[in-house]
Amino acid sequence: MKIAVCAKQIPDPALDITYSEGLVSRPDEQVLDDTDRYGIEVALQLKEKFDAEVTVISMGKLGTEKGIQQALQMGPDKALVLEDDSLSGSNSLMTANVLSELSKKVGADITIFGTESTDGYSGVIPQQVSRMLGLPCISYIKAVEIADTVSLTRQTSTGSEKVQMPSNCVLSVTAGGVEPRYPNFKDIMAAKSKPVEKISLSDIEFSAVQNIEFIDIKDVSTTKQGEKIVDEGEGFQVIIDKLKELKAI
Amino acid sequence: MKTLIIGEVVEGNLSSGALEIIAKSQELGLEFEVATVGTEESPNIGSESFKNTYLKCNETQLSLGSVANTLKTMVDEQSISLIMAPSTYVGRDLIAFLSVDFSSSQVSNVINFSIEEGHVITSNSINGGESEYNSKITSDKKFLLIRPKSFEEVQVELSNTNYETIEINSEDPEVFDIFIEEKSGPQLEDSKIVVSAGRGMVDSSNLSLVEDLASKLNAAIGGTRAIVDAGWMPYSQQVGQTGKTVKPDVYIALGISGATQHQVGMKDSKYIIAINKDEEAPIFQISDLGIVADTLSIVPKITENL
Repeated sequence: MKIAVCAKQIPDPALDITYSEGLVSRPDEQVLDDTDRYGIEVALQLKEKFDAEVTVISMGKLGTEKGIQQALQMGPDKALVLEDDSLSGSNSLMTANVLSELSKKVGADITIFGTESTDGYSGVIPQQVSRMLGLPCISYIKAVEIADTVSLTRQTSTGSEKVQMPSNCVLSVTAGGVEPRYPNFKDIMAAKSKPVEKISLSDIEFSAVQNIEFIDIKDVSTTKQGEKIVDEGEGFQVIIDKLKELKAI
Repeated sequence: MKTLIIGEVVEGNLSSGALEIIAKSQELGLEFEVATVGTEESPNIGSESFKNTYLKCNETQLSLGSVANTLKTMVDEQSISLIMAPSTYVGRDLIAFLSVDFSSSQVSNVINFSIEEGHVITSNSINGGESEYNSKITSDKKFLLIRPKSFEEVQVELSNTNYETIEINSEDPEVFDIFIEEKSGPQLEDSKIVVSAGRGMVDSSNLSLVEDLASKLNAAIGGTRAIVDAGWMPYSQQVGQTGKTVKPDVYIALGISGATQHQVGMKDSKYIIAINKDEEAPIFQISDLGIVADTLSIVPKITENL
C-alpha cells in the first residue's frame, strides 16, 4: 500500500495573517499546519498495520522547510514537494491540480488530507483532488478503526456514518479525529536524513487556470465601546443582572 | 444570470442556508432555481415561487459524487452560470466536485456577493471580520460557497408538492452504520444563548462548568478551534472561520482570547459577554460586557446564583 499525505507550510498561526497585494505574506520560516497532523497520524496508523509507504506531499514556498521537517518527524518515509513562483496566489483548483499530480507521482492508493488549512480555509481541496483522480472521497472523518479492514466514521450534519475504506480513495480527517503523535528526539534526528524530492511545474501535467481576480481589501472594522470590569468578587452578579436586563433569563 | 442554488433537506424541510441564498438571489433579481439533496420521503421543499428539483439519495450509500453528476447535467442543459451552496459538509463536497467538472475554481466562505456588468463580485471576511476581501470571478461558470447566516432567510410557504424528484443511483462506497445524534437541548445554529469555551478553561475536565451554566441558561455549547483541535469537543461544536457561524441574542465567551479565526463565527451576536483573566485579550474589543476574572472560579458562581 502506498499513501500520500498532504502537509501545508503556513505562517506561524499565533501571529496575525498579513496580506500583500491580496496574497498571504509568507515568511521564509513556516510551520506545519496543525490540521495536517491528523491526516499524518491516520497515514501512520495505516502504515503500521499494512506496512504502507507514506510520502508527504506539499506545494508552496519551501523556505527553510521547517514545516516539511515537522511532518517527517512524525514518521512518514519521505517527501515530494513542488515549489514554483508562478503558483503564488493559486486558487483552490490550481492547488488541487498540483496535489493530485503529486499523488499520482507517488503512485498513492490512498491520499489523505486535513479538512481545511488554517491560513486559507477553502475547505474543498481533498474533494477536488478526489474528483481529479476519479476516486471516491470520504470527507470529514472523525474516527478510524483499523482491523483487517478499515472502518471510517464521517461527521455529517445530523450525526455520523460509517463506511469501509475502499482500496483506492481520498480521505479528509477532521481535527480531533485521532490523537497525533509527538516525535521524540530520535524521530527528530531521523527526519533529517529522510529524502525530500523537489520537482517543478514542468514535471507534472498542469492545466488549471486562475479565474479569481483580487480587487481590494476594505477596512470594515467597527469598534465596540463595551464595558470592561475587573472582577472584585461581584463580577458574577453583574453578569446575572445583565442577563436579566436582556431578558435572557 | 441563470443561477442554481443547492439546498439540503434538514428535518423534513429546506435548509436555512438555502433559504438565505434564495432571499439574496430574489433581492438581486437573479433567474434562479433550486436543487435539493436529501434522503427523506416527500420533504417540504416545494414552493410556488421557485422551481425545485429533489435529488433523492439512498442513505446507505455515499452519493455526493453521483449527485454532482446530475447537477452537472442540469448546469449544462440549462446553461446555468452561477452555482451556489451554503458552506456545509454537503455543500462543500458538491461545489468542489462541480468546480473540477467545469474547470472553474470556487470562492469559499463568501459573506456577500453582487453582480456587476455580468461579473460576480464576492466578499470574504478576513482578520476576524475587520476587513473585507473582495474579488471578481472571471470564468464563465461561477461557484460560490456561502457562509451560513450571511443573509436573512426568505419567508415562504413550503409544501411537499411543487417539485420534481430524481432518484440518485450511486456507485460510491456503502454506508454500513448510521448514527443520528440525539438533538437534546438547544442547537448552536438556532439557540438564543450560546456559551462557548476556550483554552482558558485550562483542562477538558473543566468543561462540566460550561455544561452546568449552559444547562441553567438553556443555552447551546460551542468551542474554539484550539479546544476542538485538542480533542475536548467535537468538530460539530466549533464556532469560527472553519466552524459554525452563530448569531444568538447573547454569546458568552468563557476563557476565549478572541483569535480572529473565532471572531468571524460569533462577532455578529447581538450581545457579547466575555470572561477572561487576561485584561488585554482581543475578545474584549468586540464584547459588550467584559469581565476580567478567573474563568474557572467565576463560572460556578454565576451558575449557583442563577
